[in-house]
Amino acid sequence: MRLTRCAQGIVLLIVLLSSAALVLDGMPLLLAAGTLLAFLTCQYLVFDHRFRQAIGSVTVQRSLERTLVRKGATLHVTTMITLQVPPHLQAGVKEILPPGLEVQDGETAAVFDAAGSPQSRRLGYLVTAVVHGQMQFSGLSLSAWDTFFKNSIRLTAAPFSGPLLLVQPVGLFEPSLKRISTESREVEKMSVLSGLGVRALREYYAGDDLRRIDWKLSAKHDKLFVREYTGMVSLPPLLIVDLPAKGAAFDPRDFETMVAAVAGMAEYSVRMYQHVSVLLISGANILHYAGGEKNLRRCMSMLREWMHPAGRTVNLYRTPDRTDLRSRIRTIEHLLAEQADPKTTRFLAALRTKSQAALQHQKTHVFTSQLVRTFSPLAMDEAYLYSLCEGDTSHLRQVIRQAKTMEFSVHLRVPKAFWAFSETSGGNRLIADTMEVFA
Amino acid sequence: MNLPRPALQRPEYVFLAVLGAGTLAVTVTTASPFWYAGPVLYLLLCGALHATRTWHDRALYLLCAGQLLIIGSGAANLWSGLFAVWMLAGIVLGTLGLLESGPELRSYLLFCLFALAIATGIEVSNHVLLPLLVLGSAAILFVGAVTIRDYRLKKQYTGAPS
Repeated sequence: MRLTRCAQGIVLLIVLLSSAALVLDGMPLLLAAGTLLAFLTCQYLVFDHRFRQAIGSVTVQRSLERTLVRKGATLHVTTMITLQVPPHLQAGVKEILPPGLEVQDGETAAVFDAAGSPQSRRLGYLVTAVVHGQMQFSGLSLSAWDTFFKNSIRLTAAPFSGPLLLVQPVGLFEPSLKRISTESREVEKMSVLSGLGVRALREYYAGDDLRRIDWKLSAKHDKLFVREYTGMVSLPPLLIVDLPAKGAAFDPRDFETMVAAVAGMAEYSVRMYQHVSVLLISGANILHYAGGEKNLRRCMSMLREWMHPAGRTVNLYRTPDRTDLRSRIRTIEHLLAEQADPKTTRFLAALRTKSQAALQHQKTHVFTSQLVRTFSPLAMDEAYLYSLCEGDTSHLRQVIRQAKTMEFSVHLRVPKAFWAFSETSGGNRLIADTMEVFA
Repeated sequence: MNLPRPALQRPEYVFLAVLGAGTLAVTVTTASPFWYAGPVLYLLLCGALHATRTWHDRALYLLCAGQLLIIGSGAANLWSGLFAVWMLAGIVLGTLGLLESGPELRSYLLFCLFALAIATGIEVSNHVLLPLLVLGSAAILFVGAVTIRDYRLKKQYTGAPS
């Protein structure tokens, strides 16, 4: 139980009046102090009764999108809270989350006003599991206040807590020593990209294009046969959005521009190609993938839900890619061949040894595997990568590399400041095919 | 649809009117050389009631303004001071809208009984010290009881084993 500012003033008044009564031996002063004390006591009894009524009326229903996730995964939590607030009382509830979960977006608190009937509030929020283990949703914190008093209580008993979230640990590297293949593989189905392939052969009907007649087969069967070619379709681009890290320093205007650009591109894709695929990442963390989304409204709703700075559980700046390491070794060897200064030569030789050692122990990163698994089934030839390029950009390099392995043309869209910096520093496009300012 | 009641029918104004009549009666009957103190302090309370209409923590300002009238009336006659206490509490609770339901009226009556008990205790005492000690002890006991009760409530709802 705590006193509001008003009640604190009354307590001060009681102390002053009591002191004055004691010093002056004044009965009227004592009457004033004593009755103020009685007033405050009665008001507390009323507040306490109402607070207990409010607690007794709380019901909670919490549901998770999934109850078993991997560390770093983001999931949606919905909590329906019903509460009846007695008259002249205001109440607020707040979710108590396990320490291993980080809120990415959404509302975890609600305020209830006094009403004659129970009110319901729905809290919806996204959380990311930053550590592994079993995590029990602890419950709610209920606060209530009136003119004189305020009190809060943690409702963590069985009816208010749960469900249990199981977070599986995930390593930084793939367990297998064999490198996850990024090569193409044969599939026993027709590819939509193959516009020169023959889909079927059939008998000739009057009006068929004579250029399609298969003369060899026709001669063999003494009947005219025509080829039916596979069709060519325009493929929609894949939109990859790299969301900034939560708490990172970035220009909010750039972020707004990026959001608008992504929304515009998604809308264009849906209108032109009837569907769009969006991959949302934040650093080396895949947050969400919406593949082949045909409903524009649902697509925009998804973008509204996810396009916020997100917490990053994994970063790549300590785990350079094998390709980068090989490139570094080649550069060092090139420099060694040209270098005459023994001190510099010794340094470069040591650096080469370290890099070679790192290369031997370097394995495929989980993020790389996730990218390969995401890109493999996609029938696309272009990818647009939107990023604010703040801080470490190792993950962007990895995304672009994997996309290019799948023979996607990668178009990087960056803020104007980064673009200008890249242009002045020798056109560092992070190995993308093109780089433009998003607008 | 609940239409707001006219200002003069609201409980705080009813209590204010009764307090005004009581103050006038005490002023007339006591014939004190400081007869003007009661009406002046009453007018001060009226002014506070008017001036604090839109202020936060209005209850505190009204109680502060009302204490002067209680002390003034109590100096003339302890029972007239008690009457002022009852009326002031009615005014404050009326402004907060806390006199609208049965439980709220019962709470007000409980306060009136507490105030009567305190006034009776003061009346039978010769000096301030003893009733002050009794009041202080009661307050400490009450705070202790409230703390234990609060602890038990929190223990019950946090799911701790009893």
